[in-house]
Amino acid sequence: MKRLPHSPTQRIDTRHPLPFSYGGRLLEGYRGDTVATALFANGVRIFSRSLKYHRPRGLYSLDGESSNCLMEIDGLPNMRAEQVPLRGGMQVRPQNVVGSPERDLLGFLDAFHWAMPAGFYYRVFHKPYRLWPFFQTLIRRAAGAGTVNPSWEPGRYDELHFHADVCVVGGGPAGMQAARAAAQTGLRVVLLESRPWLGGFYDWRTVEHHGTPLYERGRHLARELESLSNVRVYTSCTATGLYGDNLVTAVQEGGPDDFFHQRYLEIRARAVVAATGCTERPLVFEHNERPGVMQPGCAHRLARTYGLLPGTAAVFSVGHDLGLEAAADLHDQGLHVACVADCRSDGQDPQRIAALEERNIPFLRGWVAARALGKKAVEAVVLSTTEGSATRTISCDVLAASAGLTPLTGLFSLARLPLSYDERTGYFLPASLPEGLYAAGRLVGYDDPASIELSGTAAGLRAAVHCGALDAPRADEALTELQDNHRVLRGSKLVLAPGAGARSFVCFDEDATVKHVRQSVRMGFDVPELAKRVTAIGTGPSQSGIPGHNLPLIMAHLRGESAGTLRPTTVRPPLKPTLLATYAGLHPDIHKKTPLHDVQERAGAVFRRVGVWKRARYFSSDPTCRDEILNVRNNVGILDGSTLGKFRIFGPDAEKALQRVYVGDMSRVPAGKLKYSAMCTEDGCLLDDGVATKLGENDYYFTTSTGRAGATVEWFRFHTRHEDWEYYLVNLTDSLASINLAGPKARDVLQQLTDADVSNDAFPFMGYREFRLKGLVPARVLRLGFVGELSYEIHIPSSMARTVWQWLLEAGRPLGIRPFGLEAQNVLRMEKGHVIIGQESEIRTTLIDLGLGFLWDRTKTWAKTVGAPALQFAESQEGRLKLVGFLVDGSRPPLDGSIVVDGSIRGHVCTCRYSPTLDKAIGLALVDDDLAALGSRLRIFEPGDPPEYFDARVVPTPFYDPEGQRMKC
Amino acid sequence: MSFTITCPICGKRDLYEFRFGGEERGARPDYENLTPQNWCDYVHLRTNRPGPQREWWFHRDGCGRWFTVWRDPMTNRETASSEATR
Ligand SMILES: [Zn+2]
Repeated sequence: MKRLPHSPTQRIDTRHPLPFSYGGRLLEGYRGDTVATALFANGVRIFSRSLKYHRPRGLYSLDGESSNCLMEIDGLPNMRAEQVPLRGGMQVRPQNVVGSPERDLLGFLDAFHWAMPAGFYYRVFHKPYRLWPFFQTLIRRAAGAGTVNPSWEPGRYDELHFHADVCVVGGGPAGMQAARAAAQTGLRVVLLESRPWLGGFYDWRTVEHHGTPLYERGRHLARELESLSNVRVYTSCTATGLYGDNLVTAVQEGGPDDFFHQRYLEIRARAVVAATGCTERPLVFEHNERPGVMQPGCAHRLARTYGLLPGTAAVFSVGHDLGLEAAADLHDQGLHVACVADCRSDGQDPQRIAALEERNIPFLRGWVAARALGKKAVEAVVLSTTEGSATRTISCDVLAASAGLTPLTGLFSLARLPLSYDERTGYFLPASLPEGLYAAGRLVGYDDPASIELSGTAAGLRAAVHCGALDAPRADEALTELQDNHRVLRGSKLVLAPGAGARSFVCFDEDATVKHVRQSVRMGFDVPELAKRVTAIGTGPSQSGIPGHNLPLIMAHLRGESAGTLRPTTVRPPLKPTLLATYAGLHPDIHKKTPLHDVQERAGAVFRRVGVWKRARYFSSDPTCRDEILNVRNNVGILDGSTLGKFRIFGPDAEKALQRVYVGDMSRVPAGKLKYSAMCTEDGCLLDDGVATKLGENDYYFTTSTGRAGATVEWFRFHTRHEDWEYYLVNLTDSLASINLAGPKARDVLQQLTDADVSNDAFPFMGYREFRLKGLVPARVLRLGFVGELSYEIHIPSSMARTVWQWLLEAGRPLGIRPFGLEAQNVLRMEKGHVIIGQESEIRTTLIDLGLGFLWDRTKTWAKTVGAPALQFAESQEGRLKLVGFLVDGSRPPLDGSIVVDGSIRGHVCTCRYSPTLDKAIGLALVDDDLAALGSRLRIFEPGDPPEYFDARVVPTPFYDPEGQRMKC
Repeated sequence: MSFTITCPICGKRDLYEFRFGGEERGARPDYENLTPQNWCDYVHLRTNRPGPQREWWFHRDGCGRWFTVWRDPMTNRETASSEATR
């Protein structure tokens, strides 16, 4: 199909042809085309088949209001072809067809429309219930809305989060003026426009205003705006949500030069201006969705933006002056306009009527399209007077039909503003707007360029006043001028064409007609929200794009009531269908590395994510870590424990604060010694454990688990928030590294780095010392035994960590030292029966359930210790899960998380491993208290394919060195 | 859902930066003569009344301070200025 001669309104570049494939055929479009316009240029008229009846569907609008142009594009199903910019090499395929859109084998379904009333699927297929799965499969196949391709490569997705003073939604003349007015007060302004360019309704129109064609005016305003450094313009960017305190979300389509496919934006604005404009309210008449029927704006833009004549002979049935303007302009572009019907009996712009007369185009006032004729495409139209008293039939291949304009009020609905019917415009609009939200332009009913632009300026200035950048009188001036000199349009009140019935589609997506709405009303589902549920109107891919404000008008009409007695259905975010990948966004793997990350990496460590950290899990390819474990048991190993929480607390009330959050009596923490203690939630459940030592009067050093380090300050401060205590908490987690030196030869290694006496007598188990390593590096050394061997936890400044790590490796080389990872530590501590919070405990596991009740000092009630009352009440509670050790019959351990069963679920495996030290499969489990006795038999179910059962026996813990001789020697 | 919270130290910031600490319900009860029911009520029961209430917020991604604000959960708007703890 040949394009129209070049015109400055066009957005295509005919010097840049782009090849693409459609259902196996190789076609060509131009840069600037959308997929749909390129297909239209290649003669495609049937774009899809409808959901239920498999009726042919064509190009109806260009802004994605219907599912007519849903296609699979480059492997992505359900893409709106009319909104996807064409790119070279695109693979486009039709969907929801058996065969091709032109020859669809399920097309016969249309003849059975009478058999599918409102709520058809729900009412027919639910009995007998057992057949539903069968019908479900059949229906889903016939009504398939594209097929997900599991091997689709998502590409790149971006996200932006930022603040703005004023966020303007809509880049038409009103939005541009609002942005300009606000920006001129010095504010930071963001402008969002869903089309790829600014200009709104101006972009394709050649009529003149003050001697300048509107498209030129639009481009001039856009250039002006883009030159302002405090305005950020996002095109191809649709606002999808409006939340509390003016949080605007939007989704931007990546263009050919963008690095992203889709981008999510989240903008916190002080003021929002809605200038989203209008779309056309679909005219509802018999066969109103036949290919060839399209909105007048669609026909106009096809010609003016894409250089495509929509057909050869057209009939217009319109309800607004833009339609009259389109008819005259398309006539000038070479389209034969057989006739223009206007459902309004008066109120037309005389200039527009004069333009039709000049061109000898017959104009019918008070007439409307009542029926489209033709099987697969429009061949003729039956026009009727609006009251149905007379008809005439006119041949055509294009029927440009619209009932009038309808405002895009999605943002208002998202802001939960109740919409009410405005008698003059016939629009559903909010009666008032809250502080900080302003509306402008065609959206609120202004029709002529001067008032649209002025309303934009007024809204932008009012937003500036709200932001404190302008005095109120300046904004009031513009508003007064607007109100004094400009009036909103008088909108078309037509609801239905005469005779609208079983083939008059209210919702294209769901194949729902006026007949279905009538049935719904008769069944008692007589308000839009109910009718929506029973007829599925507005629940399809384009949501309420087509039914929109028509549904409440039609229902009120069918109920014999005046327009405006019912409200449109609730609109929910996102306002535009958005890929899940876009919400997933960049998903960058943001993590912390310990100061020993690199040296461990060079030593062959395999890292795993643990909370916010990456930690070394293994140092070999052996997942059982046998060598790492046995080396700690027999020689000596080092582990990077830098992620451990490390804190200093001091100040006059430091000890009181410790007494509040720790279950133990922290007044009995001696200098030079460590006290192991735990923190509980108010429910008595274990939250954190660690050790503390006293550095001086009301001055303590303590450790927390890796996962709790970030929330420790918050926890302390929350539970002392009503006290006027003076204490200071310093988080030393990142400034101090920690190296755990463990194994029977640990002392021999440490002794080489210090002159301090580290003998068992001078530095016993649970001791705390501070000394310098090699006379240089200040170290805090904690003698602990988490892995069950003689061990020293060495805390050193992070900047020295690598040096000390190397010193230890060098000193230990003759003794067989080697690093070990988290998995080895996990087995070592489990052999010793030591718990890890979150692994042996869950949110409802109390200190007592874990057998750690001895940590709780019940005498210090004055301290009001967090969780202490709950521990007291839970102490004698029956039916709680208890932590037990078990020995598996056989050597293969069940997976962590396997469940303990005996007809019902009786508990679960927390950790289970093969112990190379003991040559047995051992584990820890939380089980019902009646299974907790020593010798109880446990049956363990491991899910899988096939699932497996294990037998085990409850045994005492620790499994290894029960007397603790090895860590104390 | 989204709104802003005004930190007494950092000013008005996005909700995401904060952790909610529940409505203000007074100091911890006395542990002497505490019944399980009283304790359970203190820990778990909230008044959940519509209208302004004094509630605790923690500026987790900011100054790390607990403070109270008066806020109406019906509108998610703050109704009075906030007060920081020590
Ligand atoms: Zn703050």
